[in-house]
Amino acid sequence: MTTAKKTDARQEFWKAARDISPLALGVAMYGLAFGLLAAQASMSELQVGVMGTIVFAGASQIVAVERLVAGAGAAAAIIAGVVLNFRMLLVTASVRDVFAGRPFWQIALGAHLTTDESWALMLSKRAEGRDVGYWYLVGGGACLMATWLVATLSGVLFAASIPEPRALGIDFAFTAAFIAIARSLWTGKHDLVPWVTAFLVVAIAKWSGVLDSSWALIIGGIAGAAVAGVRDVE
Amino acid sequence: MNDVWMVVLLLAGATFSIRLSGVYLGQKLPQDGSWARALNALPGSLIIALVSVSLLSGGPREWIAGGVACVVAVITKSLPLTMGAGILAIWLLRQFV
Repeated sequence: MTTAKKTDARQEFWKAARDISPLALGVAMYGLAFGLLAAQASMSELQVGVMGTIVFAGASQIVAVERLVAGAGAAAAIIAGVVLNFRMLLVTASVRDVFAGRPFWQIALGAHLTTDESWALMLSKRAEGRDVGYWYLVGGGACLMATWLVATLSGVLFAASIPEPRALGIDFAFTAAFIAIARSLWTGKHDLVPWVTAFLVVAIAKWSGVLDSSWALIIGGIAGAAVAGVRDVE
Repeated sequence: MNDVWMVVLLLAGATFSIRLSGVYLGQKLPQDGSWARALNALPGSLIIALVSVSLLSGGPREWIAGGVACVVAVITKSLPLTMGAGILAIWLLRQFV
């Protein structure tokens, strides 16, 4: 029984690693872009490797380091990254059956390895009727972490030979990446009002000079979410 | 670079706490109501705010390249293709416009 369970776990783990490979390609490009940004922030390979391992949340890593490069300071960088990661509360909460009855080390490992991509992949496989669970989520996450570390370290090493990333348009990779992520987060026209609100608050905050970019970003995001919460729809 | 290590450690601690809290709070989370709707909308709104900050910090070239990336994102729904198109567009605009 125990042996059979272990075999199932291993099969699920490697099945997820195979299934997630197209998403890993996107993560690799994203990681390369983060490595280039990290180089602009004068981060060492050690710092990039440690950050990828213990933070392991790509968008928040990019936002935080981008804030540092912009000279916003450590506090603004941390807040921007943390606020962006608040969504992970909902992500891990939404698959609580996956964690039910597991020992703490498995809960901690699974929670840490949960990403937007591995979570979404698991949900889509379940929607197809596949019986996948904890080790599928862990396998996908572990594969993405390996990809993320290789790509970000390659990016920071490769960046040393690039004098001016901006001249190559690489700096715009982050903006384009977030546009693609926004597209994938679009669920229907009820998103329109919150998103327009977020944009308008940022535009007013920036152009009026009341807030710097870090706070415009946070206030804009919260304003959009608040509008969605207050609206009596659905 | 003390700032970098501080960001790495505090962001890691906060992010892990958020992920772990989600597991434990899952059962108590409201499945509907204002609070759930707001939290559901937070990721999208934040991403839009971030893109807005980036684009508004640039000029017309960034706005056009952002438009190109939007079109590619809507048509292809692909992260690599959108990134590639955005980078190519901004590179061409900066070279020739």
